[in-house]
Amino acid sequence: MSKPEYVDIVEKVFSETKEKKTEEFRVIGKRIVKYDAIPKILGKPIFTADLLNLFKDVVFVYSVRSKYAHAWIKKIDVSDALKYPGVITVLTAKDIPGVNDVGYVIPDQPLLADKKVRMIGDTVALIVADSLENARDAADLVSVEYEPLDVILDPLKIVEWGGLREKEHTLIHDERGSDVLSRYKIRRGDIKKAEQEAAVVVENEYRTPMQEHAYLETEAAIAVPEPDGSVTVYAKTQCPFDTRKAVATVLGLPFNKVRIIAPPLGGGFGGAEDVGNEIAAKAALAAIKLGRPAAVLYTREESIIGHSKRHPMIARYKHYARRDGTLLGVQAEIILNTGAYASLGPFVGWRAVVHSTGPYKVPNAHVDLAVVYTNMVYAGAFRGFGNPQVTFAVERQMDLLAEELGIDPVELRLKNILRNGDRTVHGQLLDHGVGLEEAIRKAVEAAKWYEKRRLYSQQKGLLRRGIGIAVFYHGNSIGAEGADFSTATIIIQRDGSIVFRTGLTDFGQGNIQGLINIAAEILGVPPSYFKVEWPDTASTPDAGPTVASRSTVMGGNATLVAAYKLRQRLNKLAGEILGCDPDDIVIEAPKVYCRSDPNLSMTWQELVEQSFWKGVPIQEFGYFRAPPAEWDEETGQGAPYMHYTFGAIISDVEVDIETGVVRVKEAVTAYDIGRVINRVGADHHAIGGYIQGMGYALMEDIYHAPDGRVYNTNLSTYHIPTGLDIPDKIKPIWVEAGFKRGPFGAKGLGEPSIVAIAPSIANAIAHALGGGFKVNKDVNKHPLTPDYVYSIIKKHGLIKKYKG
Amino acid sequence: MAVKTVHVHLKVNGKDVELDVPPNERLIDTLRYRLKLTSVKEGCGRGECGICIVLVNGLPRHSCLTLTAAIDGAEITTLEGLAPEGKIHAIQMAFLETRGVQCGYCTQGFIMMAKALLDKTLDPSYEEIKEWLSSTLCRCGSYHYYFAAVKLAAKYIKEGKIYFDEEEVKKKYYMRVVGR
Ligand code: FES
Ligand code: FES
Repeated sequence: MSKPEYVDIVEKVFSETKEKKTEEFRVIGKRIVKYDAIPKILGKPIFTADLLNLFKDVVFVYSVRSKYAHAWIKKIDVSDALKYPGVITVLTAKDIPGVNDVGYVIPDQPLLADKKVRMIGDTVALIVADSLENARDAADLVSVEYEPLDVILDPLKIVEWGGLREKEHTLIHDERGSDVLSRYKIRRGDIKKAEQEAAVVVENEYRTPMQEHAYLETEAAIAVPEPDGSVTVYAKTQCPFDTRKAVATVLGLPFNKVRIIAPPLGGGFGGAEDVGNEIAAKAALAAIKLGRPAAVLYTREESIIGHSKRHPMIARYKHYARRDGTLLGVQAEIILNTGAYASLGPFVGWRAVVHSTGPYKVPNAHVDLAVVYTNMVYAGAFRGFGNPQVTFAVERQMDLLAEELGIDPVELRLKNILRNGDRTVHGQLLDHGVGLEEAIRKAVEAAKWYEKRRLYSQQKGLLRRGIGIAVFYHGNSIGAEGADFSTATIIIQRDGSIVFRTGLTDFGQGNIQGLINIAAEILGVPPSYFKVEWPDTASTPDAGPTVASRSTVMGGNATLVAAYKLRQRLNKLAGEILGCDPDDIVIEAPKVYCRSDPNLSMTWQELVEQSFWKGVPIQEFGYFRAPPAEWDEETGQGAPYMHYTFGAIISDVEVDIETGVVRVKEAVTAYDIGRVINRVGADHHAIGGYIQGMGYALMEDIYHAPDGRVYNTNLSTYHIPTGLDIPDKIKPIWVEAGFKRGPFGAKGLGEPSIVAIAPSIANAIAHALGGGFKVNKDVNKHPLTPDYVYSIIKKHGLIKKYKG
Repeated sequence: MAVKTVHVHLKVNGKDVELDVPPNERLIDTLRYRLKLTSVKEGCGRGECGICIVLVNGLPRHSCLTLTAAIDGAEITTLEGLAPEGKIHAIQMAFLETRGVQCGYCTQGFIMMAKALLDKTLDPSYEEIKEWLSSTLCRCGSYHYYFAAVKLAAKYIKEGKIYFDEEEVKKKYYMRVVGR
């Protein structure tokens, strides 16, 4: 079968530019002031809630939440609420014209609960009132009769070690007959053989927390009923096309009668996927029922109990190795807690299992993973998507192994990492573009690893420094999770300016600027010629979801294809007009000329004008689809992702032995992203991802009370890093090993930027604590809060040890 | 319920405004929805995130914790009022040039704190900058950039460069390549 044209184009551009240095590009890899920077520093009204001022006669929709984390609903009585001043109507499940479901991957999550509640954030009714205040006040008047059920928060009440069999328990999803959402496995080689041959075995249990996205913009949606019976919704959503599907399902409308517009997001990080669907559906339902614009604006508390989180993990790992450090095998059982609903849990679980043995050559592997329901707030997508959890376990295991063997952690990793020509644990051949070794070597050099490691090992006293490394890989885009395509549209206007449209959303880290950089480089125009339109399902083709670090790779390829086709037409036309070969045409807008004779020239505007007269279309639609992933459910063998981003993180910390307080002093991140497209955005990911990962490592966790209520529902109890918590220096290093099916060789970075932060910090803390294998082994969960770190210090008598 | 309103007189970004507001109306809502000053952002409504900070009589204040009725006669500055029409303030310019803006949802809170700090001193130490700006959260993690922006802004102001022409800034910076 011949390759599709779009694949040819991407590969051709890669092969023509792969030797080029950043200096030789005009735009690619440069530092550029991004398109949205100026409106943002001017405080222009660009976020969803800001748009409220544009609409008249708006009604406000407030969600009445469950009082129990697990209960049957016996009766809902809204009569008192209806009498409250300002209340226009109260909507419950029976008011839904379509299907009462907003489940992202499987239909397991009602928009408005009517039979059962499964978590504290479930919505049972919507108060629609003339003001948000009245709507909130009236919420207390909705009376719901519940029959409480057992609340299960611990996934080990659902499945048990030694095969992850499901136990007897009160079913949360009785309609499914099981609370195991999905299972995955990897079977490679013969783990028994690894066990027999191993000189050392390292075994431990790991736990990672439920992290909250804590984007500063809380959820907002405004729905406007249209005269033709359709509805337009402005909503904070990462995935407008998925949101459209959810709204259409709930309202029972065809897709073309639901229009979703996604203004810029005040942070997303994966959290604005399913909740975007939910808020849009709530607003749209009210708007359609009342024929008035309807707004949903979440408070911080609603946001925290009402949107998905990062899956907590519990895992047991066994690593087998030779005396020289060569890995022989990995055995693991992993449980991900998806809380009340599946959300993207099945895909998170799959990504976790794919990465569950780290970026190493592992000849024998036996991994089982189960994603299970509990009555916690539901878990879904969060930057990293299952990989940070398993990478924490794997990278802690590697440090334990290094300690056990008396090998430097860097050396142990260098001995086992994947390089060009190696096969992954899934049997996938990585024939090019594996920049992990280079990333490790550069990070080690920049962080002065060997020097510091030696120095810190000899330190005395109670303020102790430690340095730790963690490495990882991360499959690009969505792999076997679904149809992996993206699109972009470039429309050159008659005056030469350009409109850029894509359905991919911008959460601020610079993905869309990256697409502009690609289009500008290919077309030969300055990026400032472009205007970026907001994603709008009515005017942008389905671009797939903005998830899985796919903007730059998938959206970038689609953009590259569109720009390339346009450029070819323009070259041909210019060649005809100027009398030279199309390949001879140079576009350096506003100049267009023949390379062989620069006197043969015209302006960009003339060329654009001529295309109108000569009938050359100057709008183009770009499409790219990744080659279908291969995955054998029974063995976990195949080629799960098109390619991988690689990285190495080194963290340098200080631990106060008397208090357990940890401070990160310095950090180096080295990522192989194939090719830097948008340097400002790349740095933002590296630094911002580090800081978010540091929060994950040291302070962030959603705590549930035994009855399933959330203790920390605001930012004074759910702590994220402030300006006083961060290290003074985080140094990003870029490795550009290329990848033939990425735009100019680029790979994704959005999610990778958080994957290995927590283990690098944990490894540094273990180093600072010193005290041998047993202490090291106890650093097995995070967040590494002062009380947890102090408990390790106390258990092992470290104060006494270091005081003397 | 018919709520009695309170009459307040405010000076907002240099303009006099007369308002009748319910006694429990928060300043953030007055600014955002009555006066359409949507630079002011809400992140928590509880004084925890700092992105709603505006200057009330020259001092930083959480507009989510301030009742409009309680500050009759106050002078208020929001991001919109930092520079005259058609101009960009040195602090905004510095935030632009140091390229820290990611989602930008937090930025106004940082800019307003920076303004309050630089009104006090034009030679803030790095520690002082960190201290002042630590009341505002940035989940995208742009803190380092914002700290650098305050230094640069102080330099501009000391050099007497307080306002920049908005059109020129746009021409010079909108998607321009500024470095390797
Ligand atoms: S909204 Fe005022 S401090 Fe967060
Ligand atoms: S730039 Fe997004 S929160 Fe600061």
